[in-house]
Amino acid sequence: MSVAVEAKNLVKDFGSIRALDNLNFKIEKGEIFGLIGLNGAGKTTALRVTATLLLPTSGTVTVFGLDVVEDAAEVRNLITYLPEEAGAYKNLSGFEYLRFMANFRTKDKAAVEELVDAAAEISGLGERLKDKVKGYSKGMKRRLLVARALMTKPKLAILDEPNSGLDVLHSVHVRTLIKRYAKEYGVTVLLSSHNMLDVEYLCDRVALINKGKVVAEGSPSELKEKYNAVNLEEVFGEVVGFA
Amino acid sequence: MLKGLLNIVIKEVKEMVRDPKILLGMIIVPLLMFPLMGFAVQTSMESAEQSIGETSIALMDQDQGPYAQNLVGNLTESNFKVTQLDDMSLDQAITQIEGTNITNLVIIPSGFSQNITENGTATLTIYTPFEGGGGIAASSRSVAINSVISSFENAIVDQRINEAFTEANSTEILNPILLSEKSIVKGKSADVSPDVLFGLMMSQSIAMPVGIMTLLIFSMQLASTAVASEKEEKTLETLLTMPINRTTILAGKLTGSIIVAIVGALAYLVGFSYYMSSFTGMIPTGTVDLAAIGLAPTIASYAIMGVSLFMALLSALALAISLSVFADDVRGAQALVGPLFILFVVPMIFSMFTDIYSLPFPLSIILLAIPFTHSMLATNVAFTGNYIGAIGGIVYMVIFTIIVLYIASRLFGTEKILTAKLKFKGFSLRKKR
Repeated sequence: MSVAVEAKNLVKDFGSIRALDNLNFKIEKGEIFGLIGLNGAGKTTALRVTATLLLPTSGTVTVFGLDVVEDAAEVRNLITYLPEEAGAYKNLSGFEYLRFMANFRTKDKAAVEELVDAAAEISGLGERLKDKVKGYSKGMKRRLLVARALMTKPKLAILDEPNSGLDVLHSVHVRTLIKRYAKEYGVTVLLSSHNMLDVEYLCDRVALINKGKVVAEGSPSELKEKYNAVNLEEVFGEVVGFA
Repeated sequence: MLKGLLNIVIKEVKEMVRDPKILLGMIIVPLLMFPLMGFAVQTSMESAEQSIGETSIALMDQDQGPYAQNLVGNLTESNFKVTQLDDMSLDQAITQIEGTNITNLVIIPSGFSQNITENGTATLTIYTPFEGGGGIAASSRSVAINSVISSFENAIVDQRINEAFTEANSTEILNPILLSEKSIVKGKSADVSPDVLFGLMMSQSIAMPVGIMTLLIFSMQLASTAVASEKEEKTLETLLTMPINRTTILAGKLTGSIIVAIVGALAYLVGFSYYMSSFTGMIPTGTVDLAAIGLAPTIASYAIMGVSLFMALLSALALAISLSVFADDVRGAQALVGPLFILFVVPMIFSMFTDIYSLPFPLSIILLAIPFTHSMLATNVAFTGNYIGAIGGIVYMVIFTIIVLYIASRLFGTEKILTAKLKFKGFSLRKKR
């Protein structure tokens, strides 16, 4: 299997605060890889560096062999990024928002409409896509954004808390979609989540991050076995010392 | 590149035009407020004029002589409704007019005609009930009666002069010097009074700087909102990971803001010109053939004005966008951009009231260092003929804009757009996680 994403000795400082401290991880193509950790552990910073938004203080991240700093423009062609607290333009309708985003991906009108149709199906919002985003509930907005991130079938989808704000039913719906896209279209997924259930169900492999470092890595079953734990929550507690 | 730019511009314009705050505050309110103000002024003026036409006055003719009758005749001819209370005492007359619509009580004392006949000074007393209120209409009525009396007095003066100097013309005696005021325009004599030219310049000096200032303030507010709302609505990060050049995003935001700002400024100017037109009756309008005296705007002067305004707009927007990068939300961005408005207001006031070049040197230099001053000076280039100064101003604005745009694109091109934050505590520039 070829490497989709590789972070090597990644360090990111914000003034005197070290958010990432020699972080290393590797994601194989088509894999769903989860970063889990406490608030402030560095998950979002790692995703933002991979998404070309932040510059590493030192170390490197490559996406399909492209450096996120040197080849940022090319990397952006391969990825989609869903921030944890993302919003959508409230004065545009759902369709207009999707079309606006699809226009960055292709110049062909028919192709744009295909992407919008795909997103409409993923979101399951139906006729509500004709309404302005400002009338959407938090869950509806999240479904729109997840659809935007997956509609292009990117080579790498970077999803920060993809189920944030979704109720149980929609959460299951989104999880199923992510799995389906990874399997059917070979989309590699790098995600972060607080929800260990999500992670356990979704991810092929996970990395536990604490204070900007990977403290454990493996498939959920490997980790449970290694730490003799019932679930990933227990693994996490065992590793960072709260159990 | 072009399609990406167009995509952003369309989205920016849609977002702004559909935002009720922008639609209401920048387009609908100016379109409604100024015409409403103009309507209020026009209606009041018309009502004042109408009330002058219907003025009722009371008159006590204690003289009954020929000049007294003459004066009464003049008042009646000037549309005053005259109620004569000749046999009453002053107190009775005052009681009589109380509560009526009578606005003045004119008392012609006995001996009025005799004093005039004997070339002496006759006294005339006018009582005006003071009730407060009434505004311009009330004072206009006093002006109206004074003007009738003034004409009456002039007629007596003419009569006296004609009697004393049978050979002469009273007008010539009263006006020994006839002043013929002409101007020198760009080294050539022009058969126009300088007052008329100053009036024309003033109308330009007020309207244009106000218009420019409005346009600049609108666009700066919009441009700062354009970036800050992306941060506030948490859409910026997604946009920045799209496969599009960051400079294109910046250009799209600038273009979108310019388009909406121009629409907003047009709405403002349409409203403002309607408002100003309600005063037209009060402003003397002379017809001057500007082309004949070389003051008509030429293609060159229009081009300079246009380029100058565009550069001012671009630099203002770049400045607003650069600053708004340091804000977390729309309110913060507007607070950061707000103090910059002084850079428009100060040159506007100076260019309205004085020639900036004739100010004391340090003040003049400070004002000329503000790039926006040059766009206001350029509006008078057809009058001043200072094309070199205007072109110099444009060059200065181009340099300023390039520097600011470079800073803006640097901020957009790096992570600073996400991490930079201006902290007022301790006035330090800090980075935020």
